[in-house]
Parts: sequence; C-alpha cells; structure tokens
Amino acid sequence: MRRPSGPALPAAAAVAMAAVLSATGMTSCGVLAPGALTQVHAVPGWAVSTTVPAGRATLTVVSSENSGTTRALAAAFEKLHPGVAVDFRYTAVDDYNKSLNLTLSSDHAPDLALLNMLGTTVRADLVRSLDPCATAYGWDRSYPGTELAQWRADDTGVRLGTGHLWAAPAGFSVVGVYYDKAVAAGLGITAPTTFAAFEADLAKAKAAGKTPVQLGNLQGHASLVFQSVTDSVGGARTASRWAYGIPGATIEAPGGTAGARALSDWARKGYLPAGANGTDLPGSVAAFAEGRSLFLFDGSWDAAVIDRTMPGRAGFIPLPGPSASSPATGIGTSIAYAIPTRAEHPDLAAAFLDFMGSAQAAQLEFDTGFMPVAHADQVTAPSGSVLADVAAAWRRVDRGNGLVPFFNNATPTMNDTLTAAGQQLIGGRSSPAQFLTALQADWAREHG
Amino acid sequence: MSRAPAARRRPVAYLYLAPALAVYTAFVALPWLHTVWISLYTWDGVTIGTWNGLGNYRRVLTDSAMLAALEHALGFVLFFSLLPIAFGLLLAAVVGGRGGRRYPLTRAVLFLPQIVPLVAVGVMWRWMYGPDGTVNQALRAIGLGSLTRAWLGDFTWAYAAVGVVGTWVMTGLALVLFQSGIQRIDTSLYEAVRLDGAGPFREFAAVTLPGLRAEIRVALTVTVIAALAGFDIVYVTTAGGPGTSTTVPGVLIYRLAFTDGQVGAACALAVVLSTLICLLVLAIGRLLREDT
Repeated sequence: MRRPSGPALPAAAAVAMAAVLSATGMTSCGVLAPGALTQVHAVPGWAVSTTVPAGRATLTVVSSENSGTTRALAAAFEKLHPGVAVDFRYTAVDDYNKSLNLTLSSDHAPDLALLNMLGTTVRADLVRSLDPCATAYGWDRSYPGTELAQWRADDTGVRLGTGHLWAAPAGFSVVGVYYDKAVAAGLGITAPTTFAAFEADLAKAKAAGKTPVQLGNLQGHASLVFQSVTDSVGGARTASRWAYGIPGATIEAPGGTAGARALSDWARKGYLPAGANGTDLPGSVAAFAEGRSLFLFDGSWDAAVIDRTMPGRAGFIPLPGPSASSPATGIGTSIAYAIPTRAEHPDLAAAFLDFMGSAQAAQLEFDTGFMPVAHADQVTAPSGSVLADVAAAWRRVDRGNGLVPFFNNATPTMNDTLTAAGQQLIGGRSSPAQFLTALQADWAREHG
Repeated sequence: MSRAPAARRRPVAYLYLAPALAVYTAFVALPWLHTVWISLYTWDGVTIGTWNGLGNYRRVLTDSAMLAALEHALGFVLFFSLLPIAFGLLLAAVVGGRGGRRYPLTRAVLFLPQIVPLVAVGVMWRWMYGPDGTVNQALRAIGLGSLTRAWLGDFTWAYAAVGVVGTWVMTGLALVLFQSGIQRIDTSLYEAVRLDGAGPFREFAAVTLPGLRAEIRVALTVTVIAALAGFDIVYVTTAGGPGTSTTVPGVLIYRLAFTDGQVGAACALAVVLSTLICLLVLAIGRLLREDT
C-alpha cells in the first residue's frame, strides 16, 4: 500500500500539538502529571456574616447520610428562614466518597458537603477553614473541645486533632457496651462500674454457660473491643493522641497493651464466640438479641434495632475504667459538614452549620439516630428504651471530653490493618505484642 | 491456508475498521495507556502526582502482601478454572452426551449461578457459611457436628471456602459451553466408536474430549481471567480475611486506589496483573491451538 502522506501526518500533528500546548501555557512538563489540570486554589480570608441574607437563596447540600437527620435539619432550617430552600442531594457512601473530590472541584460545587473523612480535601484546598465561623458564632465556647477536635487539622490535612477547623458536626455516634438485662439479672450482675468488675462478670457469664461477649469480626469489629479497653484503661487523652497521629504517640503503651491482652485472653478463655471471625456485625447483633450473651460492644447506630428486637431488655454503658471515678470514655465520630472553597453561599452555609448545634436541632438529631451536638440534656427518649441509656452515656462521655476518634481512621490503611491483625489475634495466630507491633508499624508509615 | 493476494488489500478496508478502532482506542487502549502512565507516578488521586519511575513496580514485586495476593489469585485458578472444567466435562458427558437434548431442567439449574450478580452470590454464601448457616446445619444433620466452624473466619478453611464459591459459579458456564460443543460433534463418530465396541469412557476419551478442544480453550480463557481478575466474590465474602489469607490483587487494587490514596501503586499492580493474565491467556491459546 502506498501512503505518500504517511510520515508527514505525525509531524503535522506534533506541530499542531506543540502549538496548542504553548498557546495554553501547558508546556511545563508538570502538566502531564496526574491531577495537574484540576487544582483548586484556596480562598485567602473570609469575613463571616452571621445574619442570614434576606431574599431567596438555595442552599445545596451533598451528603451520604441517609437516616433522615440532614433532611430533618434542612426542613426545620427552611421553616426558620422562609426565603431559604435547601437542595439536599444524597449519594450512597461508596460512590459519594469516590466522587467527592470531583464534586468539590467542579464549577457547580455545593454550599455544604458531608465529609466522611478529611482525606485529601484539605491538602487539595477543596474546603474552607471554618475558623472564622467558629469565632463569629462562638462554637469554641459552646461545644466540648473533643467534638470539634475531630475535624481540626493542619493545612496538609495529615496531622489531625489540632489546628484549623474544617467541618462542623451534625450528630454523633458513640460506641459503648450493650448488656442483656435478663441475662445479667439471671447471673446476679448489675452494670459494672470498674474494668476489673467487668472482667469478673465475663468469668461469671462463662461459668453459667452464657457467651460473655458477643462479637462479629468478619469485617473487623473486634477493633471496637480493643479500642474501648484501650481508651478506658489508658485514658481518652492518650488514645486520642495516637488516633490523631501526634508525633511520638504509640499504641505500645499501657492502654493499648491492656486492649490487646483483653482480646487475646478473652478469645483464649472462650469469652468470645468461636465463630467470631466468620460473623459480621449484623449477625452478632442478631445473636445478641437471642438472649444467650451478656455484653456486646457496638455503636449507638444499632440502638434502634436492638431496642426493637429486644424491647426493654437491653442496657447501655460506657466501658468502665480502672476505678469507678475514672472519666467515661467512648469511641465516637460525627457526621460533619464542610463548606467547599467554591461554595456559592458560604455565609448561609455557616448559618446552617450553627443551627446544627441548637436545642431544636438536638432533638431532631437524636430522633433520627444520632447523639446531639449540643444540648444533650434536653433530648427526650421513650421511657424504658435503651435509647435513654445511650443518651445518658453520651452525656457523660461528651461532657467529660472522653470522646476518642476511631483508631480505624488513624491512617488511610489502619482499618484494613486493624481488621487483619484483629482476626489473627483472636484466631490465635499472633500474640498481643505482634498485634500492637503491626498497628504501630502502620501508624509509623503515615505519621513517622 | 493461502494468503490473500496483495492486490485485494484496499485502503478502504481501514475505513470499515475505523469506527470499531475508534471506540476501542477511546475506551480500551487509551484508558489502559493512562493506567500505565499513572503507574509511573506517586499519586493520591487529587493533588499533583510526582514522578516515581519504576518505583511502584519495584514495590509490587517486593511487597510481601502484594506477592501473596498474586499467589492467592494463581491458586484460585484451581477453583475457578480447573475444577469447573473437570465438573463441566463430567456433567456434559452425563447430561449432554449423544445429541445433548436431555435434562433441560438440570442444565438450567446448573447454569443459574451465572445469571446471579456476583455480589448477591457472595452475600448468599456468606450467609450459608455462617456459624449457623446452611453448611453447618447440613453437617450437623448428618452427624458431622464436630466439623462445623465459621468457615469464612477460619484461617485453614477460608481460602478453600471462597474457592468453592468460584467453582459453584463457573461450573454452569463450563457445562453450557461443553454441551453446545457436543452438539456440534458429528454423531457418526459416536456410532463408529460404538461399533468398535467402546464403552462410555472410551467414547468420552476418544470422541467427546478431542471434539471439545475449542470449547475447553474458551472455558479455560474465560475462567482463568475470572480467577485472576476476581474481586466481587472475595470482597463480599471475606474482604481478604481472616488476616490476609484470602487477599487477591483485585481487592488490593481497590483498597490502594480508593481508600489508601495510592493510585500509582494501584495502577502498577493492575498493570502487572493484566500482563500476567495476557501471558496466561496467550499460553492457553498456544497449548490448545486447533491446528496442532
């Protein structure tokens, strides 16, 4: 085949390409680096106005929260400010997380975006620092410090727990210990007030042929047991330092050692169900409701299900610490909203964030399954329901600054590490020391 | 085979190829090249990536977790390919021999796993393998209660348990392929071999098996790809656990790219995996070539 124009074509294309590249200023070799064409630039400063602007405005909210909390808050907010319409857009959490960065960097960025983690949003300048809002509305004074600490970070979004505020909470989850009141009564047990008493109760339950701690670890929920013990024995402050990646923190400390030892001991002594590694969390909740086990480490998110499946029979406490007067601790996190750099109505968005901490919002948050951001003492639960216990536990944990963020989020890979190492530990494949070494090695890769 | 005369090669032929070529280039070739390109960077998926040369590949080939995952995937070839093909041949010989029009219901039932979404398959098996699931119930019913365990949480058995799910899914595909193949075999061959006094085993070995060479090649290709590139079944049943005993490259690629923010490493592992698959598929094609 003859192709006279053959060699000329690529040459022409190359010339044209070069012309295009130089015309658009894209000639630096950096432009070929992935991500080079989609960077967003931070807004320098922002004078927050706390008056909701008059006139009509639409507040767009993107979220992966589907339990009705944000919708209820939005409806109440619309009622409060008749000119405001809230456009709530829900996406299932996996797809939401995958597409969030694109959503935030697009030309049609929303006014509020739920963050499931800071991830790369801060480093990529996709969200605004909320420091001006916190000052303008006085959040620093009205919220417990540990609540906001969870969404604080430096400019790189790597060092968490201190620094600028990047999101504001709309409701919390807290992890504690559910107990079966019927089983406890049969064993002559009342809710333990020290960790030693708690472990003594486990032995009693085992002797009576009950499962002391119900657990499903197929997806790694033994981490709730490990961290609860670590937090309550070692204290919330020490545990939080590790969770936030503060330099020099280590899990190979008294708290962590107690947590790993507990998991391993309990598995060896038969305090955990034999099939824990092959059972998922809903499976363990269902098994707990059958009434053959004493305790279950789980979050407030399952309170409604547990209340429905075993009405009046379940109680909830924070895992007790070394002494009865030890401050209550609890693993917990919030659903939280950030204001994107490219938001169209940042002041209106800030007003919505402030509304999330109001007394009216507190009851809405509680009724839709979350612990209230503020005014926790004003929420009411159906009497006799485990929800009342959960609310009481939350008040103790929250007020005493005993809230500790999930270890699972200490590094991007920590959830997988905790899952695999926890399965090995209760499967008898590793020692408590090896478990802690694996966790610390993962932590050190990210935080040095 | 004779070559087409040069005079009949017309440039216009490329015009007919163009639409397909354009689609292929846009949706297969370019994304693949893009993957290769990203694999040369350290990139979190959002901020600007930095050049890393072959660093990601060095990591894939030295990281024990990634090598273990590749090993697990190769091991799954037994469960996703070899066993289904063996079962498929056996079943095809029984239900599909001699014209292959018998047992339509059996065939339909055996093919059923193929039309169920793999995520649903995984959820269903997770439930069946649970401590009180049907597998353990069946064991207890036949007096083997001592063997019961939480299969997917057992360090010794989880890998095989996941593999069995693969065998269950793939056997139907192999059977249907082989049945259609048997229908293609000249019935006079069966008559001839029977006249020679062969029993069903000789008949299978002398006529059916050689006649199915093309179908076995297709089945092997499809199932080997499923074994190595698999993600859904493992992710839904064990997510790689307990410990790391069932991790496969698909699960690691997903984690690296979507939760760990290591898109470059994910792409490098993906490139290594797809290269491995290409080599294996080429080897299968070579070994079972029609004209040798």
